[in-house]
This record gives sequence, C-alpha cells and structure tokens, in this order.
Amino acid sequence: MALKIGIDVGGTFTDFVVTRDGAEPAIYKTLSTPADPSIAVVNGLAEIASGMSPPRSIEVFTASIDTIVHGTTVTTNATLTSTGAKCGLLTTKGVRDALEMRRGIREEQYNNRYTNVKPLVPRYLRAGIEGRLDRNGAQTTALNLAEVQQAIDLFKRDGVQAVSICFMNSFANAAHEQAAAALVRREMPEAYLSVSTDVLPSIRFYERVSTTALNSYVGPKLNHYLDQLVSRLKEVGFKGLLLIMQSNGGVISPQLAREKAALTLLSGPAGGPGAGLFYVRVHGQNKCITTDMGGTSFEASVAVDSPMIKNDGEIARHKIALPMLDIHTIGAGGGSIGWLDQGGLLRMGPQSAGADPGPACYMKGGRLPATTDANVVLGYLDPNFFAGGKMKLDIKAARKAIDEHIAGPMGLSIEQAAAGMYRVACNNMAQGVREVTIKRGFDPREFPFIPAGGAGPIHSCLICEELEIPLQIVPRESSVLCAFGMLMSELKHDFVRTFVSRLGAIDWARLTAIIDEMAREGARQLAEERIAEAKRRYDVKFDCRYIKQYHEVSFLVPRELIARSDTAAIARAFHTEHNRLYGYALEQENTPVEIINVRVQAIGVTDKPHYKEESWAGVDASGAAKGRRSVYIPETNAFAEIPVYDGHKMHCGNRVAGPAMIEQETTAIFVSAAFDCVVDAYGSFVLYQKGREDLVTNCLERETEGVK
Amino acid sequence: MKTVPKIDPILLSVYARTFKSITDEMSISMAQTTRSPILCEAKDYVTGLYDGAGNMLEQTENLPILAFSLAPVCKYILQYFGDEIYPGDVIFHNDVFSLGNQNNDVAVYKPIFIDGKLVAWTAVKGHQADIGGNVAGGYNPNAVEVWQEGLRIPPVKVVEKGKLRKDVWNLIFANIRFEIVQHDMKAEMGACTVGERRLLELLHKYGLASYEAHKQALFDATRRMMEAEIAKIPNGNYSGEGYVYYDGRHEGSKFTIRVDIEVKDKHIKFDYSKTDAQTNGFVNGTFTSSASATILTLLQMVNPDIPHNEGMVAPIEIVIPEGTILNAAYPKATTFGNHLCPPNADAIQRALAPVMPDRVTAGWNNLLASLTTGIDPKNGEKYVDIGFMGLKGGSGAMRGTDGYDHIGMIDASGGVLDQDYEMFEQQTPHTLIKHELLIDSAGAGEWRGGLGVETIFEIGSDDTQLVTFGDGDFEPAFGLFGGGNAGLNFIRLRYPDGHTVVPRNKDLISGVPKGTVYHQVASGGGGYGEPNKRDRKLLAEEVKNGVISAQAAREQYAFDPERAER
Repeated sequence: MALKIGIDVGGTFTDFVVTRDGAEPAIYKTLSTPADPSIAVVNGLAEIASGMSPPRSIEVFTASIDTIVHGTTVTTNATLTSTGAKCGLLTTKGVRDALEMRRGIREEQYNNRYTNVKPLVPRYLRAGIEGRLDRNGAQTTALNLAEVQQAIDLFKRDGVQAVSICFMNSFANAAHEQAAAALVRREMPEAYLSVSTDVLPSIRFYERVSTTALNSYVGPKLNHYLDQLVSRLKEVGFKGLLLIMQSNGGVISPQLAREKAALTLLSGPAGGPGAGLFYVRVHGQNKCITTDMGGTSFEASVAVDSPMIKNDGEIARHKIALPMLDIHTIGAGGGSIGWLDQGGLLRMGPQSAGADPGPACYMKGGRLPATTDANVVLGYLDPNFFAGGKMKLDIKAARKAIDEHIAGPMGLSIEQAAAGMYRVACNNMAQGVREVTIKRGFDPREFPFIPAGGAGPIHSCLICEELEIPLQIVPRESSVLCAFGMLMSELKHDFVRTFVSRLGAIDWARLTAIIDEMAREGARQLAEERIAEAKRRYDVKFDCRYIKQYHEVSFLVPRELIARSDTAAIARAFHTEHNRLYGYALEQENTPVEIINVRVQAIGVTDKPHYKEESWAGVDASGAAKGRRSVYIPETNAFAEIPVYDGHKMHCGNRVAGPAMIEQETTAIFVSAAFDCVVDAYGSFVLYQKGREDLVTNCLERETEGVK
Repeated sequence: MKTVPKIDPILLSVYARTFKSITDEMSISMAQTTRSPILCEAKDYVTGLYDGAGNMLEQTENLPILAFSLAPVCKYILQYFGDEIYPGDVIFHNDVFSLGNQNNDVAVYKPIFIDGKLVAWTAVKGHQADIGGNVAGGYNPNAVEVWQEGLRIPPVKVVEKGKLRKDVWNLIFANIRFEIVQHDMKAEMGACTVGERRLLELLHKYGLASYEAHKQALFDATRRMMEAEIAKIPNGNYSGEGYVYYDGRHEGSKFTIRVDIEVKDKHIKFDYSKTDAQTNGFVNGTFTSSASATILTLLQMVNPDIPHNEGMVAPIEIVIPEGTILNAAYPKATTFGNHLCPPNADAIQRALAPVMPDRVTAGWNNLLASLTTGIDPKNGEKYVDIGFMGLKGGSGAMRGTDGYDHIGMIDASGGVLDQDYEMFEQQTPHTLIKHELLIDSAGAGEWRGGLGVETIFEIGSDDTQLVTFGDGDFEPAFGLFGGGNAGLNFIRLRYPDGHTVVPRNKDLISGVPKGTVYHQVASGGGGYGEPNKRDRKLLAEEVKNGVISAQAAREQYAFDPERAER
C-alpha cells in the first residue's frame, strides 16, 4: 500500500496531503516556519503521526512513506525579497550591461518615480571577456582566458558565491562557455556555477543571460535549504523518494534541482493546474480553468489535456525563459485592501494586509478593510467557524473598518459597501481569468472552473456569472489543491536547442541528431531517477513563426512526422495553432514558416494515488443541513436567509439548490441564486447553472439507477 | 418619459475596470498579430474606446505621442459622415490636415451600434511601415509638402455595412510599397472587432441607460481628479522655451518652441502663440502630435493613477496657432512632427520648474535615431533595421529620484524596447561590438540624470542606406536647480578606408560599404540639485560600478573615491 505525501510550503501554512491507495486523501495544515521551512515539514509529519489511530512515533510513520513530493518557495522568496547569493557574471566584452538594462523597459510609462530593478549582479562583478562567435557559431575572436582568470581573481577577492557564464551566440556553439567554465571549476570549486548553454541553450541574449543569472542567484539558497530538508528527513527515518516540484508542473530529483535551481522559481503554485485536470476527468472532460485565491494573490491558469506552458515568464521584473506553467497572478486575495481613489472610485488591492496583521476581523492589529472583512459582513464566513472554529473572527472590527474607510466616505451603508468590495474583488478576479483564457484564444464558457484556496469558492459564482461559465467543480481538497496536485505530477525534463531553418528546407539528418541528443540526455536523467524505460516518453515541440514575425509559436510535433519528413503536416500543425492563438493564419498566402528552436520534454510517468469513486447516496442532502443564516445574494442585491449545509456530511448524488452555503473545515462554498449544486463520484461539489442539468448527467444518471 | 438611472458607485468601478481591460485586450491583439517590428516589437500604436459622440472612454497608450489625436479625429469623422454612419462600417484615417498626427500613423475606427443607435467606437492607430511618398518608410528629410511624404487618407469607409469596398482598399494599397502594411491594417481592424465584442457584452449586460449615465459619472470623477492635481499648481503665468536644431534643409537653422502656461484654479492653459513659424522642410508638427506631447508631459507630473478618459483632458486647454512649427499650415511637410515632443517637453519642464519643483524633471535625452537598409549577403534578402537599441538615452532626474538609465525618448518613456542582440545579428548582416551604458553621460546632481548608451556595430552589407532623424547633437539635456547638463548625441561612420562621416541629424546616406563601423551615442538625462549634496555612499558605489569615473566624481561631485575608501 503506497503512502505518498504532497507538501506545499505557503506564507502562513504548510499544507500536507496524505494519500494511500484506496483511502480518501487526508488533509493537514501546520504553521509555516519561514526562517527554516524544513522545520514545519518535520513538525507536520510528527503531528500527522501522533494524530493517527493508534498514534505512531514520527520515525515509524516516516519510515513507511514511499514518496514525498515537495513544493518550495525558497527560490521565489529569495528573488522577490532580493536576498539571493552574491554573484559574478562572465559575459562577452561590449554587452555586460544587458542584464541591468533589460532592453530599456520602464513598465510604468507615466511614472517618473518608478526606478529600475536592482540587477542580479552588480556592474563591477559583470566582466566583459574578449572572444567572439558569429551568428552561426563560428569563432571570430579567440576566448581570452587571461581575462577570465582576472575576473575569477576579482570574484574570489570579493567573496562571490555563484558565477554565471553567458556569451554572445553561444546557443550555436558552447565551446567558449565550456572553456571558461572549466577554469571557474578549477579555480573556484566551492562556487555555484551556471553556464547559459546548460541552463537554456536557445537564442535571445537577454532572456538567456537573465535566466542564467537567476539560476546562480537562487542556487546557493536552494542547495542550503535542500541540505537542511534532506538531513532533517533522514534524522526522522525517511528512506523513500524525495521529489521537488518545478515551475513546469513536473517534478525532479533534488540533485537536478540543485543544479538548475531556477526550475523551481514557481514551484509553489505549479501543482494546481494538474490537480484541476484530475477532478474534471470524472466528468469526461480534458480541460479546465484552475484558480487559487490566497491571502495576497489570485492565480489563474488553463489546462487542455495538460497545463498551458509559456517560455517567456518573468519574476520580480527579471526575465526567465525556462518553460513554466502559464499561471497568471494578480493582487487579489482575502487580505486585499479596499480603498477609494482620488476620484472617489472604490478599488480593491493590490495592497494586501496579508496574514500579518491580516484583515481587521483577525484582531491582529489590522485596521484597514480587506476582502475577508467584507465576506464576514456579507455572511459568507461564519465568524465562529473560520478554519473549522480554530480561529475566531471579529465581525465588529470588520464593520468598523469598512464603515470608516469605505461606507462613510461613499455615503453607503456598511452592508452596501461590503457588497461593493465583494463585487469589485470578483470583477478583478474575472479580469485575471480573462488574461489566461480570452487573451490566449480560449473561450472561458467552454471550460469547467475549479476554484481553490480557502476563500475561492465564496467568490467563484460571481466570477463565473461575469464570464458566463456554467460549470464549477469544488474539490474536497480545494484548500490544499497545490499539495494534492504535486502527487499527480510526472517527472519532467525540458531541453531546447536553437535550430534556425525554413520549414521547407530542413536538414533532417541534423534535426534528428539534435532531437536524439536531447532525448538521450533526458533518458540519462530519468534513468538516474530510476524510471523504467516503459514509463518514459519524449515529446517534441518546435518554436516557429512566419518569416519576419518577431514572436514564435510553440507547438507539439508528433515524432512520426519527423521520421517521415512530413513538412506539410508540420506546417499545418503550426497554422492551426497560430490561428487558435491569434485568430488568423497565413496558410493561403504561402508565407514561409521558419523554425527557431526545437524542444524535447522527457517525461517519466510516476505512480499516482488511486482514487476510489464513491457510490451513489441519493439526492437528499437534508442530513447535512445545519441551519440557516442571512447572506448577501448578489443577483438580487439584497440579504436573504438561506440554508447552511455541512459539506463533510454530503455524499455522491446529494443535491442542494442555490442560494445556499456549504461549509467544510477549511473551505466555505457559496452557491449563488444562479447555481445549483450536486456532489460527484470523487466527492467534489459540482455547481452548475440553474437549468443546466445536462452538464452533470454523470452525477444524475445514477439517480435513475437508484430509483430502480 | 425617460428616467435617469441612479448612479451605482460600485458599478462605476466595474465600468472603469472593464473599459481598461478592453483596451488592454485590443493592445495585446495588436502585439500578437502585427508583423512590422515597429508595431509588434516597439509597440508604436494606441488602442482606444470612445462613446457615441467621440469622447474618450479609455485608451492603452503604448506610445503616448499618438494617443491624443484619436478622440479629436473620432469627433471629426462624426461630423464628416453625419448620419451616414452604419453598423458594419470600418473607417480609415491618417490625414494630418484633419487632426491626424503623422502620415504613417494610420487609424481604424469602428462604430458600435445597439438597436440602430450609435453608442460607441473602437479605434486603433499604429505606425505603418510605409505610407507611399518619395522615401520608403516615410522619413523624407527633403520633403517640403505633404504629397512628397505619403498618401493622405481623409476619413474613408473601406468597409461599408459589413461589405469590404475592394475598390477603395485597392486604391489605398496600390499607393503603399510593402504588402506587410495590408496585413498590419487588417490587424488593426481585428483589434477593433475584439474591442467591439467586449463592449457589446458589457452594454447588453447593464443596458444603454446605465452605460450613458455611468460614463458621464466616470468623466466627472476623473475630471475632479485632474482638477485636484492642477489646483496644486499655484495660480499664475509661466513661460519656457525648447529648441529644435536643423530642419533637414538649411544648415545651421534653429527654431524655438515657446510656451506660456496659465494656471487658474482648476484650469490649465498652454499657449504656443509665440512659437517660431513653420519650417520649409519636414520638421513641423501637427496640432494633435503637438497637443499629445503637451498632455503626456503634464501627465508625468500628476498622479499616474488617473484614468485616461475625456474627464482627464477636460481641464486642459491648448492653443497652437496654425503656421507655427508645432502646427504647420496646409500643405506643409510634417513627418518629423512627433519628434518635436522632446523640445516641447523641455519648454514645459522649464516653465513649471519654479512652481512645481517636486514634479518636473530635468531635461531628457533628445531622440537621435537611425535606420539601416540593405541586402543581407547571407541570403540575398532585403533587411530593414530601426536602431532601437542605439537611440535610447537617459531621462532627466527629479527631486528624490535619479533619472532612468537607457529609457529613451520622453514620448515613449520606456515603452519601446531594444532589439535582442542575437536576433539583431540573425536579421541583419551587422555584428554588434558594443552596447553598454555610457560612463559619465548623465548630468551630475544630488539626483543624477539617467545614463545614456553607446552602440557600436560593424555594417555587414555593401551599398547600405542609412537614414538619420532626430536632435540632441547641438544641445545636451539640461540640468535643474544646480544639476549639471548631460552629454551630446552623435552618430559617426568610420569607413573601411579609415575616413569618417558624421551624418547630419536629419540625413540620408547611400552606398555605405561593408566593414564600416557605425558608432552612436544616445547621451544621458540632466541632473537635479547640487551635485555635492549627492549621497556619498551612493557615489562610492557608482564609482566602484564604473558608471561615474573617479575623475568625474572629483570634478563634478567634489568626491574623492580614493580618500573615501581609506
């Protein structure tokens, strides 16, 4: 019986999902320990062990764990708070400022007080080295190793912990970078080293140098953290497999994470989108919009068969061009503060009260009105049953903050003001969802909507009404969705090579050799991770564009098309994807298509927890009824007494008509007047637009069976 | 009887946010679908929403210099077609003598109807790669009349009632060199449709009466915000000057932009009546390009959160007599007009500095740009490269904030990006030798100017053509309140035989041979405040980082880095 645990470290809580084959997943939360996050990991394991019946020692429990999948925000936080390693950069003479200049962008055009971001490597530690390759990778000036040595001497004198190497046109020839790297390894064996052609051997200098510098910036911190985590787990007897969540939605061994630390820059939220796909499959669907509403931010992403990937991400205004999940983040969460702008218009966020001091109702010193305060006033949150009653909320403090800062100045009642805050917050989140759907060529109405995070399902009905989405699925694990998703992740290794060629004039032998080389490297890594050959898969993608375009479109190319040199089929795949994304293709015009990069993703399929489907328990949910309370109904813009149900007592097939509240220990669900709710075979709460029973026939078909 | 709907203050926020999200979505559509690099890379376009009367509801202003001609032209189109505007119409416009800002900036307008009533417009205006005329790309330093610069497009329906007018379409594009322009105009039309769809969703949801009432409330709220900002400026009359060097035809010519600003409570008036007369070249502005320059400069001095709608511009009055260099009379050439923004901004900053010392900046580096075209010997294909990376100098410092390094002209303010170095070498035959911050290029000050940038590359094609346009090679960006001036711009060619050619700041040079070294400096911005008051710790760091030399530290800042180290 395989025991797998997903562990997601957040700002306030560290989440655990424990799965055993055949058993319902168990959820635990423990307070995070930001100074050394691995302490909370061990604390949580100890609490889980002692909470078992009969209670066990942590050693006995951890010895029985097969796999731990871990998401960490160590690298994210180091970047956001500018507390990464002291770094040096070896780059080509004449372009040492590219990292700092960021192609000359100022993100806020009308704001003359908006300053540039602090570079990841200070200018005096960015050494321009003589040596040059042309655009085809041919050497035009030899690498000056004496200059490399001089830079190394400076780095050593100055106590540099991490070195990056990125030379012009190295994507076409890694020789200069490798020669410089050899010298650095010899002279600074202790230093963390990132070589651009190892991290990201693809064209576009700024993207590559920024990604490489980020890798060095966070590498030493991640190594230090993994040292602590591994040794703490070892101390308590852990002998199983430890895997680290990457930004691309896959997992890797700790060893690889150490070398390519930048792969973990968005490790935290990367479990969510895959988890969403898991819950929609029971409805015969292969796509979904997954959202996660936390204390400060709201994250949205789309998955069709697999989560959407982007190759041009950004963190703290630094470019990162490694493939990562396309997760859009906006400043909207439970802690987002409501305020009036100069023109008297109500705004929500992006400033957040976070977890500390938190919203006014937390009674931890916060005096400004936050989204959670509005939710308490509107009746969505029961002040006595927050986090299952573990934390009391002060409705008076919430009312006072809203009165002082919103209701009073706007001449509204406190309830009207709270309703306004709620509606503006939902509107902001709906705009965030538009970013990953409409702006990426998807129609949100065709996607089931998965709201995660403790407060997500309070807001999801209004968000869905705004976007005309008729179907929502709220998993039982929605408050710990990312931790759950980690258990569903495959091992994934991304490789990229620049291969500039017209689609019509491909050197197939060379192309195949490049793909094989990347696949071999993937196979080597998967073998190290003990993945059997039968469980390995290699996906090939091309980055292509119409000639003279500036942006590439990345799309999947079946390997049999390459094997039979089927240019026409590859071109069709490109036209189709371009048309889906941008609403047009230039197929008729016969505009030439060019390849810029070729990518391989090596995938190792991991063992997933088996999820048992619940048997049908009838429509009647009255056994779960726990009373009534007055709640704000957005459709009528008024308060009404509505029934409240205990979600833990609701089972497959149970139906509840909106408006209603469904409460679980870590989640409250508001079913608005426009939706009804039914529980599916996985125990998820499925909210469907009134009258759209056709969307949930799989939950209703059994109804007929039951009647028989 | 019509009932006036009550204003819902919450719904007002929803309208404001949704308008913004619509113009942003239109902007993304443009970035993704256009092919000319000046559109998809440099984002030289604006997307907007207007009400049925042509009032601005919201705009996304990637390049603000285009931005404030869209609403005036929308009103002009309404007047022009009267009641002959129909659902399904698509209207083109670029004409600089009917409120257009530049010939190459071609706009698309799409009227939006509900139940047969015209309720709104979407519009997109982008800089097209060619607009006909004597010189490919439109920058013709020898032009004296508009016909030598490009095709005039007064309001014209290319689509009427949903039907493409093939004859009109072909007439226009028969007069434009590159086929790519047709694609990019289709992209503008597509973005208008994207905006139309979203706005209609919103209007169907809340109804026309709600929309009409709330947009008026939004204008009023925004107007109050803008008026509050203007009220912070002391009442009075303030004057300033900015200078333009060389009109492309007359060696040594110099022109003065004079602004008289009158602030009276919540109202601000910019009067350019004393500005020099128009030139007999292409260095002339149009009313809307000049007014855009005025507005964008003012916007940088106020709260950046003010929504961009009719209420924002309502308290601003701008007077520019026809026949001046900022508002040339028919049929003068005007292609350079957008680039009169930097000296115009200089005049405004100088005028307001004494009364708004916390809000103005010192002078920004003035644009000096170049464009190379030729045949890439690698594949025998024609390339065109706009030298974005070379043209971006530093911004002026302000009280409390240093200038921004390598930001570029004030009319883009960091919205236009460098080419990527490796893509530059793939798409041109040139080899990049240097592109780095230029040490000591910024004006010294308690807050220093933004640093400029030095660009060197080797030209890789024979018979290369170089076009230059800009300024900043005669007069540096100015310092304020004791802050120092920055350095000068230049572009210099060293031919393989060793001789050097310095193009004029508006020039066209042909036959540049392979192996010629192109050398450009876009210098820094002006400094603010006495340099000897600059934070010494910061100075020590800057000397260590090599952005200020030890010598400059001693001479300009009275700071001896060697002594400080001890």
